[in-house]
Amino acid sequence: MSNFSHPYIANSEQDKKEMLAELGLNSIDELYSDIPDSIRFKGKLELPHFQSEFEVKEHIEKLLSKNVSTRECRSFLGGGLLDVYIPAAQDELLRRTEFYSAYTPYQPETSQGTLHTLFEYQSMICELLAMDTANCSMYDWATALGEAALMTARINKKGNKFLYTAATAPNRKEVLKNYVSGAKLEIIEIPYDKETGKMDKEKAIELMGEGVVGIYFENPNYFGVIEDEIEEVIKVAKEKKIVVVAGVDTSSLGIMEAPGNYGADIAIGDAQSIGAGPLNYGGPLAGVFAMKFDKKWTRQMPGRIVGITLTPKKGKWAFTNTLQTREQHIKRFRATSNICTNEALMAMSTAFHLALLGPQGLKETGESMYYNAHYLKEELEKIGVKTVFNSEFFNTFLVDLKIPKDKKEEFTKFMLERKIFAGIPFSLDGETYDYLITTSYLLKKKDLDDYVKAIEEWRNE
Amino acid sequence: MTYKQATYDEPLIFELGKPGRRGHLPPKTDVPPREITIPSNMKRKEPPQLPEIHEGEVVRHYLHLSQMNYCVDTGIYPLGSCTMKYNPKINEALARNEKLCYIHPYQPEETVQGILELIYNLQKILSELAGLPYCTLQPAAGAAGEYLGLNLIRAYHHDRGDYDRIDIITPDSSHGTNPASTVMNGFNIIEIESNKDGQVDLEALKAVVSEKTAGFMITNPNTLGIFESQIEEISKIIHDAGGLLYYDGANFNAIVGMIRPGEMGFDVLHFNLHKTFSTPHGGGGPGSGAVCCSERLSPYLPVPIVEFDKANNRYFLNYDIPKTVGKIHGYYGNIAIALRGYAYICALGADGLIETSRQAVLNANYVMRKLEEIDGLVLKYNRELPRKHECVLDATPLKHEIGVGAMDIAKMLISRGYHAPTVLFPLIVHEALMIEPTENENKESLDRYIQVFKEEIAKAKENPQYAHDAPYNTAVGRVDDAWATRNLILSWKMIKELEKKGQWPPQWPEDH
Repeated sequence: MSNFSHPYIANSEQDKKEMLAELGLNSIDELYSDIPDSIRFKGKLELPHFQSEFEVKEHIEKLLSKNVSTRECRSFLGGGLLDVYIPAAQDELLRRTEFYSAYTPYQPETSQGTLHTLFEYQSMICELLAMDTANCSMYDWATALGEAALMTARINKKGNKFLYTAATAPNRKEVLKNYVSGAKLEIIEIPYDKETGKMDKEKAIELMGEGVVGIYFENPNYFGVIEDEIEEVIKVAKEKKIVVVAGVDTSSLGIMEAPGNYGADIAIGDAQSIGAGPLNYGGPLAGVFAMKFDKKWTRQMPGRIVGITLTPKKGKWAFTNTLQTREQHIKRFRATSNICTNEALMAMSTAFHLALLGPQGLKETGESMYYNAHYLKEELEKIGVKTVFNSEFFNTFLVDLKIPKDKKEEFTKFMLERKIFAGIPFSLDGETYDYLITTSYLLKKKDLDDYVKAIEEWRNE
Repeated sequence: MTYKQATYDEPLIFELGKPGRRGHLPPKTDVPPREITIPSNMKRKEPPQLPEIHEGEVVRHYLHLSQMNYCVDTGIYPLGSCTMKYNPKINEALARNEKLCYIHPYQPEETVQGILELIYNLQKILSELAGLPYCTLQPAAGAAGEYLGLNLIRAYHHDRGDYDRIDIITPDSSHGTNPASTVMNGFNIIEIESNKDGQVDLEALKAVVSEKTAGFMITNPNTLGIFESQIEEISKIIHDAGGLLYYDGANFNAIVGMIRPGEMGFDVLHFNLHKTFSTPHGGGGPGSGAVCCSERLSPYLPVPIVEFDKANNRYFLNYDIPKTVGKIHGYYGNIAIALRGYAYICALGADGLIETSRQAVLNANYVMRKLEEIDGLVLKYNRELPRKHECVLDATPLKHEIGVGAMDIAKMLISRGYHAPTVLFPLIVHEALMIEPTENENKESLDRYIQVFKEEIAKAKENPQYAHDAPYNTAVGRVDDAWATRNLILSWKMIKELEKKGQWPPQWPEDH
């Protein structure tokens, strides 16, 4: 390959020649001379190639142009993610190459920017959740749940059962199942009350028997229902030293109580909903993992943690990765988790967002979502469409549409024609679909009225 | 070149601002306000203590912090096994396309045909580079890829009624994630010692394989930068015993397009798109750990896989995988990261990717041969063998001679405005300096790095205390990691509690 030159490769042909000469070699091939011929690839690779940056850009933009975004079509989709607005100032900070092109801060003295920002992220998460300590992120809410289950088993070494409610998001249940499969941790589902959609508390208490290491519930739960009758369950859990794990919609925390204030030992969620980043077709996200401080338990926490430390200059404290001896690069098979690369930039982005939003902004976005959802519910009721569960909710509810299986696609199309993503279909009976509707703070009254109108038209057709 | 990192006495953001200041006005609904009827036990009583700052001050605060950070665009960043290559700027621009940012994973398929096609294309590309026909982008990072790969291996054995295969074998030079993922997955880990050439010891391997062997995990070239040239024999030993081979793709930048793991006998692998395919490391993440596998592991892949329906000319999410291991991520993985990797591959093509690897290997060998001339550094394991994309020098002689070890060298280098190698890894080299320059450094840059390395070690020889007191010129001097672990101050909330007890700011010990 003579005279190959490309912007992503530093050396020219001349440089190569000089370097090879200094090494006493004739060709780079000699550096591969130890590789057996039998395993070398001799075919021609079928890969795309574009001649210039301009053409790469054209190609990818053309592909993406086939998508329809939530800026073109009103979105009532949630399910653990939220359609958010990313302020220009936040994006400006995210574009700082000093942040995004750095590695994990293994050399703290030259990485104070990353460490300081991650410490602020941890601190803001603690303020939001009323917790003492948080890690620098897990991959997402679902994997945070898997890690939380494993952690409760490390704390309660004698047990092997983890309880979770049936009103947990299906995708998170799937990841949980997968994460506990190796640990021989049995997961047991607590049913929900068919009338209220809340956790069946009698059943939960009954299940908290021998060998239970932890209990998990979501608040609001997957149906959007607020779990406001869990005091007794948490009390029993505490008596039995069962670790209480709460999964929360982080965007609700401007108006909803923080899990640390109602008894959760560990709180998880996704920072995407409080502005870590846009939807990005489901990733990257930022799994939140926070807990009450406990000298022993905190050492069982997975992931990276930034702490404060001293420098040689008296009075000048600084930041560093701490408790590293729990991590895989040192502890190998004795590590608390295998996680290495996390979602650090998304965590930093969360700090930027929350610093801009402030307590007032957080409250306002929460209120907007609450008003939107409750208005929509009432308007739907006016046309005779009810919610499945008659319980208090935040910004999400399950609407009783009962779309038959064979009509689902038609319904989707019908709503799309009216520039609406209708919600997440959820089947309670296996035959028909109800829809989980989430109202973000980007929706206005007209969008909600159009939704109601569309449903009315659908029912009249 | 003189170097001085920007240094600010930047407070914690919680110490800035005053009540009533706003940094951003979020959109508000025009639906009339109403009473909030959240039951009182679930209603927020105390607002979270977030900062109240105007926009300009937020930007200034984080801009100051950003300037106290070294990054790939500051200078050479030769962290071994991390592949800190340049992050092309076009990829960042493309990832801000509204038709990527604002699409929800549960949108109707007809509204996401563009991104599905891109995912499909990337699955095909990665399969082509792996020499393994099936691919999923679901794992969010390399370790998640390993975890999934092990899931597939277990599902395969169990599906055959082979429940006793509980051993995963890995060399002691492997990445820490390998044994960690293994144990997290419920397997038993067996670590075997490397031979004098830094490669897998075939006799040691034969001694541990058995009817309990589930699989073998290795990166090739290994973490010493040495190619495991006996990979075919290894593959035969493992496969004959009924086990499967896992390829840790962290070191793939050495061999892209020239050697395919499928042809080496591997059954499953992960790629680190944030290493080989240029996506940014983000100060620790996000990454993307795509997994490719052979036909026999494909029935167990996680759901959904993106497929193409030729008859209807549409891409779709296939959830119909009856023996699937389930899910490893809430949705489909780090798609906005995958897009950057795709753009990188499109820009280089097959010839470009191959050239990238060759230059990365040339750079690593060039640096290695120059640095091993330094008295006090040695190339452990067979020094005749060429290295691939990285090399590991051992500073043990220097440590014995003057008490200056790998960590001290790292701190001297960062004092000069050059990033340190990965230090003290792999664990089989005591004072390891693991260097991976990547193809992003030209000859002048490498020569400067070598020169600085020599100068700093010369200074240390003159005055070892100089080395122990490094770094200089960075935002802060050498931090005390042990103090951090002993005291565990992990949030603003914990600081406030210390303040109440009169224990903040921290007191410096007399002998510090």
